[in-house]
Amino acid sequence: MAKPKIAIFDFACCEGCQLQIVNLEEEILSLLGGADVVEWREAMSEKSDEYDIAIIEGSITRLEDEERLKLIRSRAKVLIALGACATIGGVNKLKNNFDDLDEVKKCVYGKAAHKPHLHTGLTKAVDEVVQVDYYVHGCPIDRKEFTYIVRSLLMGKKPEIPDYPVCVECKAKGNPCLWQYDQVCLGPIIRAGCGARCPSNGFRCFGCRGYTSNPNVDAAKDVINRYGLNIDDLKTKMVLFGSKQEPTIYE
Amino acid sequence: MSVKKITKSDFANFVSALIQTDNVIGVQAKGDRFDFAPLESAKDLRLDYDVTLQPPKKYFLPPMEVLLTFDVGGGYNSQMDAQKFILLGVHPYDMIAINQMDELFRQDNYDAHYMTRRDNATIVACDVARSSDHVFASSMNTAVVRDGFDVLLTDIGDGYVLEAATPKGRDLVARAKGAVDADPQALRRREEVWAHNRKSLNKHELKCDPAYLPRLLAKAYKHPIWEERAKTCFACGSCNQVCPTCYCFNVQDDVNWDLKTGQRSRAWDGCLLDGFTKCAPNHEFRKARADRFRHRLYRKAAYVPQKIRGQIACVGCGRCVAACLPDIANPVSVYNRLIDDLGIG
Repeated sequence: MAKPKIAIFDFACCEGCQLQIVNLEEEILSLLGGADVVEWREAMSEKSDEYDIAIIEGSITRLEDEERLKLIRSRAKVLIALGACATIGGVNKLKNNFDDLDEVKKCVYGKAAHKPHLHTGLTKAVDEVVQVDYYVHGCPIDRKEFTYIVRSLLMGKKPEIPDYPVCVECKAKGNPCLWQYDQVCLGPIIRAGCGARCPSNGFRCFGCRGYTSNPNVDAAKDVINRYGLNIDDLKTKMVLFGSKQEPTIYE
Repeated sequence: MSVKKITKSDFANFVSALIQTDNVIGVQAKGDRFDFAPLESAKDLRLDYDVTLQPPKKYFLPPMEVLLTFDVGGGYNSQMDAQKFILLGVHPYDMIAINQMDELFRQDNYDAHYMTRRDNATIVACDVARSSDHVFASSMNTAVVRDGFDVLLTDIGDGYVLEAATPKGRDLVARAKGAVDADPQALRRREEVWAHNRKSLNKHELKCDPAYLPRLLAKAYKHPIWEERAKTCFACGSCNQVCPTCYCFNVQDDVNWDLKTGQRSRAWDGCLLDGFTKCAPNHEFRKARADRFRHRLYRKAAYVPQKIRGQIACVGCGRCVAACLPDIANPVSVYNRLIDDLGIG
């Protein structure tokens, strides 16, 4: 059987998730043993229009990027969204909170704002443009989860990605709940799979893996009342990774 | 006689000596809480703890473990944890939970992974010296334990009473320099500790004898409380994860890069989690949060008791009460509400 061809493409992002793949170090040789990587701008100069698996990093912010993504999708049998920018729009979606995108552009790019390659619109996650088959969540991605997903696909097996909250992994680690230490942790509504990395190091969950598919908004409202907080205390914590994709919370 | 008495300084020396030769796990401070962890110094041992963040279950059923390694087409090798260890400071309610788990893992398919760890353990139980914020062991008749442990330790103020209950326990106590036969006064003080704990470990008071719970639940399946409580359930499984008697697990395979060899692992699962009951044709038979919320309470006081001679599988540690952010998990408040609405008898 011929090795499957993998191509890795980047859109609007910091390329940190690709860097996590580069950081696999020796394991990258194993990856290359199981698959042919035919295009990967961050790590090699070759390019190719033929691939089985397309890995997409970054969010989609320009029309020409939408067209490029659609072309990639039409060529790939399997398409994987890599990292928070690709899976949920990520930090880039912060700008979708503003009404005047020209103002946003001026604020970010200053005098260069008028340049044509910076002509960006609202930020989209990859699945707002094309169909996504698999998601590698997180900012950045977890290397172990990435390699598990790739191996599963090479085996022709569906990878199991958690759809339960971060609390599961946090409690399994024996962490005390950060809510009891005055932190508005997003763990109860955010998808696990990171091994509760932030709470295990004393930081609240920032929500980089996105919401579980069925987060309980009523429970969130109940808990913020219970802790004497208000809706905005929660919303300001959700804005970093949860902008314009959060579950609806009415005041 | 197998009941001894030892001064606190002799006991500290005994623990120090054990650490030199054995793999000792003991209760220690973790921030302003407590947890079981490998013990490096006798002075870190905190037998005055109220409750540990996690139950000692993890030493028998780890959050994640490799069950076997396989070679596709070439068979498999079971993986067993062979290291002996001493578990120091298990509270009676947690000991009773371990006793229940022992019964469960022995029956049906004998679980060699669990039982190997269990056989490798020497358990030193320890009577509760300080009650936690949510303990209700008195209500569940689990404030005092009389079997399952190798050694039972009771703080009687100026020292400990040490009771060895098994050959392993007697071997261990024989190594305690300075231990002498317990005098009647020491034994009387131990009785006082027990009598006190039987009443005082009761921050939530169950309005019935726990033995009545299966009959209570037999008429509560359609009660509105399940729906009411589940409205604010995150389905985060925190109640499952901290429970000393939750033992459900999920099994998954992962292959190595040769796509030929690999390992089969199991990890804790939880009946509150979305997808817990998802099966082959993508069917999920407890899809509603309320159904899952109800299931945990039924599991503790109706289903599991049928497997373990009527014992109620909630031991009153109170960990789920403390772990539940929306404060809906408290089994006592659920059972009491059912008693209020449905009566006893």
